[in-house]
Amino acid sequence: MARSERLAPWLFLAPALLLLLVWRYFPIVWGLRESFYTNALSFSGGREFVGLDNFRWLLDDPTFWKSLEVTMIFNVIVNPLQTILAFFLALFINRSIRGIGAFRTILLLPIAISINISALAWGLALNAEYGLVNGMLEAVGLERQLFLRSVDQAMPTMIGIVSWIGVPLWALFFLAGLQNIPADVIEAARLDGATRFQTLYQIVLPLMRRVLAFVLVSTTVANLTLFAPPYLLTRGGPQESTNLLLYEAWQRGFVYSDLGASAAMTMVLLAITVVVVVIEFAFLRPAD
Amino acid sequence: MNPSLPKRRTNLVLPPVASQVTAGIRYRRAVSAASSVLSYAGLILLALLVLVPLWWVMVSSFTTRETVWANVLPFSFRAFLPEEFTLAAYQEIFSRGFGRAIANTLFVGAVTVVLTILICAMAGFAFARFQFRGKNALWVLVLLTLMVPSELTVIPSYTLVSTFGWVNSWAALVVPAVGNATAIFLFRQFFAGIPQDLFDAARVDGAPWGRVFLNIVLPLSRPVMVTSGILIFLGQWNSFFWPMLVAPDAAYRQIQVAVAMIGVDQELTSWDLIFASSTIAALVPLLLVLPMQRFYVSSIMGSGIK
Repeated sequence: MARSERLAPWLFLAPALLLLLVWRYFPIVWGLRESFYTNALSFSGGREFVGLDNFRWLLDDPTFWKSLEVTMIFNVIVNPLQTILAFFLALFINRSIRGIGAFRTILLLPIAISINISALAWGLALNAEYGLVNGMLEAVGLERQLFLRSVDQAMPTMIGIVSWIGVPLWALFFLAGLQNIPADVIEAARLDGATRFQTLYQIVLPLMRRVLAFVLVSTTVANLTLFAPPYLLTRGGPQESTNLLLYEAWQRGFVYSDLGASAAMTMVLLAITVVVVVIEFAFLRPAD
Repeated sequence: MNPSLPKRRTNLVLPPVASQVTAGIRYRRAVSAASSVLSYAGLILLALLVLVPLWWVMVSSFTTRETVWANVLPFSFRAFLPEEFTLAAYQEIFSRGFGRAIANTLFVGAVTVVLTILICAMAGFAFARFQFRGKNALWVLVLLTLMVPSELTVIPSYTLVSTFGWVNSWAALVVPAVGNATAIFLFRQFFAGIPQDLFDAARVDGAPWGRVFLNIVLPLSRPVMVTSGILIFLGQWNSFFWPMLVAPDAAYRQIQVAVAMIGVDQELTSWDLIFASSTIAALVPLLLVLPMQRFYVSSIMGSGIK
């Protein structure tokens, strides 16, 4: 009896832990190991330990550097942008005015849709030759734009497209956080003569710190590892202006069959993700 | 605090002249009316930003290929109504195996939901209700998987799948998704909130843990089963990168891959097919989420409070 009691939790845990070890932890360790070999991650043909060579080749690879630059610029803009817009959207739909329920339902709809469908739909709407948006621009007397076909506009356009899902998604978490703040806390502050801005800055924001940390980390993780938008919309172009690193890694591995470079790039991306997430957590840790 | 204080911040010190008071009230009413008009204008604008592209994609899917762009450039509001109503695009995508992709995805989604709920409920129960050595370390190990997106390990995972001989198989689509830290988290939170007496009573007659789990614990957790079930199903329905790599064959093709295959080459002129397949791929999760938005929202919220 006692022995089976001791065994019971492990029997309950075993399947889930085994799956997490095999499908989540093993690939990380193995991917890291394989990035030190030629012909990484494949079983056919000879393979050779090359130490850091895969990474050293990356250093001399202008496409990699350009892709890293594009990925960093994209993230430095898109993560704060989505976080801030989501926070204000949540504040905006957290009020109790008539019909707000219906608006909340509509504004949160994009959450259910996949990033691919959003990318395709907006890709069609923003099509340089035919698109709906260009039609509307012309109708009000403005000039047509190239959007995803232009070196200058492709990245801002892509930021807009991914934010169409991102902003409502993260707003949902902020909304949950806002609704957890007791109403009398806000009321007390207002009664003491605090302005709307003071209440927001000195009462609401500190209480939302945990949610803010969660949202910022989640946007970072999601946007550092975007694949579908460049794959479906731009193929990384024009002139590599939207060549995000995960897309480049996929292209290296699965189109050009250079699995060593591909593994090294994903490991660089993994290292960046971990470092950024740790910094964000440290920065936003509650003061207590 | 004095309960008789008014709820809103009002002028407690009355101005001396009566006409000034009424002017002040009138002014404040006008300001609040103006601000609510502005609020509604903002809400409507945002709602249009969400609805217009969705509506336009849907309407265009019911239009003939030749007239898809007819009212777009030059633009007229008739772009938001089908120029010549037809189901031709739907007939064509279904004749090209889109129905198979829908069925495949529903199958993979259903199997994943059942397996994930069973296995993650077991793990969540163990974390919530048992004391054992290394529990905290294992819990951290589970939560850490949320910090490393699976996209980053997709290439070694692919090699693992091919080692098992699973490329183009149901297993490749289902098995890697079953160990789900979010689901374990949701079940743990739920079971931790249930009074211990309930479990003690169930075990009084010496029933084995397995039976207690299946007869008592699992049925109790129906709310979490619904919420995590929706999350898991949507995860599979909207999954793209992984199925594209491990199961591109028509026999196993998932819906997002099928849509992308139609949509990726926009130089083609089969616009109506992109519109039709996108409409279906968007409509299923929308129809699933709309009636259950309350559940879905609460499940996302639950997973966010970590």
